Amino acid sequence: MKLHKNSKKQTEKKSFLKKWGGLILWILLLGFLALYPYTKVSGIQLFSATQVFMLVTLASNWNLIGGMTGYIDFGHTVFFGVGAYMMGILVTQAPLAFAPRLSFWQALPIAGLVALLLAVSLGWVTLRLKGSYFSIAMLGTFAATREIVRILRPLTGGGAGLDLPPVLNRLGEYYFMLAVMAIVVSSIWWIRRSDFGLSLLAIREDEIGAEMRGINTTLHKLVALAIAAFFTGITGAFWAWQNTYIDPDVVFLESRTVEMVMTSMLGGLGTVWGPPLGAVVLYSIQNIVWSNLLNYHLLALGILLIFLVLFMPEGILGKLGDRSSISAIRLIQRWQKRR
Amino acid sequence: MKSLFSIPILLTLAVVLAGCNSNISEKSADDVQTIRLGAAVSETGKFAREGKDTRQGYNLWRDWVNEEYGGIKVGDRRYQVEIVYYDDEGKPDTTARLVEKLITEDKVNFLLAPYSSGLTKSASAISEKYGAIMVSGGAAADSLFTRGFKNLFSISPPASNYTESTLKALSEAGAKTVVIAYEDTPFPTNVAEGAKKWAQKYGMKLLATESYPKDVADVSAIMSKFKALNPDVFVGGGHFNDALLFVRSAKELNFNPKAMVITVGPSNPKFVSEIGADANYIFGPTKWERTMKYKGKYFGTTSEYADRYQAKWGEAPPYQAAGATAGALVLHLAIEKAGSLEPDAVRQAMGELNVVTFYGPINFDETGKNTAKPMGSIQIQNGKIQLVAPKDTAVTQNIYPATKWKER
Repeated sequence: MKLHKNSKKQTEKKSFLKKWGGLILWILLLGFLALYPYTKVSGIQLFSATQVFMLVTLASNWNLIGGMTGYIDFGHTVFFGVGAYMMGILVTQAPLAFAPRLSFWQALPIAGLVALLLAVSLGWVTLRLKGSYFSIAMLGTFAATREIVRILRPLTGGGAGLDLPPVLNRLGEYYFMLAVMAIVVSSIWWIRRSDFGLSLLAIREDEIGAEMRGINTTLHKLVALAIAAFFTGITGAFWAWQNTYIDPDVVFLESRTVEMVMTSMLGGLGTVWGPPLGAVVLYSIQNIVWSNLLNYHLLALGILLIFLVLFMPEGILGKLGDRSSISAIRLIQRWQKRR
Repeated sequence: MKSLFSIPILLTLAVVLAGCNSNISEKSADDVQTIRLGAAVSETGKFAREGKDTRQGYNLWRDWVNEEYGGIKVGDRRYQVEIVYYDDEGKPDTTARLVEKLITEDKVNFLLAPYSSGLTKSASAISEKYGAIMVSGGAAADSLFTRGFKNLFSISPPASNYTESTLKALSEAGAKTVVIAYEDTPFPTNVAEGAKKWAQKYGMKLLATESYPKDVADVSAIMSKFKALNPDVFVGGGHFNDALLFVRSAKELNFNPKAMVITVGPSNPKFVSEIGADANYIFGPTKWERTMKYKGKYFGTTSEYADRYQAKWGEAPPYQAAGATAGALVLHLAIEKAGSLEPDAVRQAMGELNVVTFYGPINFDETGKNTAKPMGSIQIQNGKIQLVAPKDTAVTQNIYPATKWKER
């Protein structure tokens, strides 16, 4: 009897830590990061941190649709690009005759909303289909959008691109991206624990079963994609502002999607804390490898990533026992099942 | 449970590692006799080839300063030169990070620009923010100089001036009508916009303008459209492969403009070896050729520079390398003129600089572009690249009109 009570207590303690431990750590980390600029830091440290935040945000967004819902998005950069171009067009072009050029803060929500609208209109069609159709449709949309941007010369500057006002503020950028990252990762933490998040996992594990239980799978998938697209659009808009220059080739970069996927896989697909962890690890590895092996850094990085995928397909958190993690191979195998 | 404890450990580890890494490049303070320059230039990625040429150009100047010249003179002191290099991988994100690192962590005195106008755009926004002077030997996109930057200087003629000397020479030879085709990326777009302007200025009529996407595989639709218009001059703006496409496609369709002017391709010796006799009579704008008759105080004449480069690196200098050397040399001259390493003094000296180097005359306007240097024009004659314009450096007359494809 006594023994039983004890173990019950222990499980309670365990479940408390399991439920809140990650969040508490996360809030502590955010608190530390908010104070970080008050320690003696240089511009490059703020800038590097901002790039890590951006990677965390992008990967977390991708992970919401790719890892949690199980719909591999090969063209997620399209939302980044649309956000970046909306920012570029709105602050430099004044496309609407009656409206003046917008400021960063005015253009930002519009950039996110346009990315969201694009996601909804795409998902409306493709997310009804099961299997690999979504992945292929997204890849196609990505490539097509890049060409459309090239053709819409009066608006987008075509291949010559757009120059944004060169206003750089590393401290402001740091706090902005920190805030966006905090919102995104915290929302995903919340989603993971909500009924909505459980439904997403149910769709990933067994879509037909989820449907039988009364989950409106299309709506769930659509909402997940819309959230991911909105914040990716916001991040893209910020990137355009920070880089001060956009053209189709620097914005619609295939490697950006690859980075999102790689970061999520490294940390643990489908987990809340996987993408942040993956981003920090990947960025640190890149930095160390890059400063020490100038000539071979891409090779070394490639070998490392192959190694990780072969021996840790479920990512760092999956290896450590997080059960919401899934390996990419299992995701792809599900394509056959869904048919 | 296990995973919860591992997260902070891994995060801490990563932060510590990142921290250690950023402290490696501290320099000892007694190293005051050195000027540090920073350059983020592609070693990998799509500009790997041009990046290598650029580095070789910078290094040629550095070794010359340190070993032969005896260091840059600032007042009574001599300074050795050190260049801190990083690989920007051809990506703007990486370029931005590295330029920021060069300025804030490596504490370089001045910056040498990356290769390509696009990367220079990302890099120059950052150097502008910190007030750090950046010199480019090749960036040509006009939009670089319309942003009001005070710290970016490029010795290259702007892209819009590329076709000026060629079109001027052709109009003098009697050409009346022009068509333009260009790749839809920043540099060719600027070239085409310039060509429109110069054609108009020299009294030629523009019959049509067509653009095509990057990495195009077939231009025959454009060329057959142009054939119907029967123009005197065809202007093609693009990269090396596009130049080959234009010529092959024109020959196939038997489209015979009296002159073809194509960027990038013809000035490269590989162009002739690829298409042989068909390359004859084709014009190409060039920034720099070893046959140009310029002579500077340092490095001597153009051909003496070319010999020096050949001896050091075992290959002929492409214009990217010559530009890189000249860009670094210009910075050197400005520092000596200013007699100081203070950015404000050097910036002012840069603006006042009016010199002739092996690369050509250099005189920056207030936007930082070199207005003194004219573009050259070459024509391929009997399989040889011959400089035909501008007149003061030309080695021979241009041939106009060209003979038909069948007779070449």
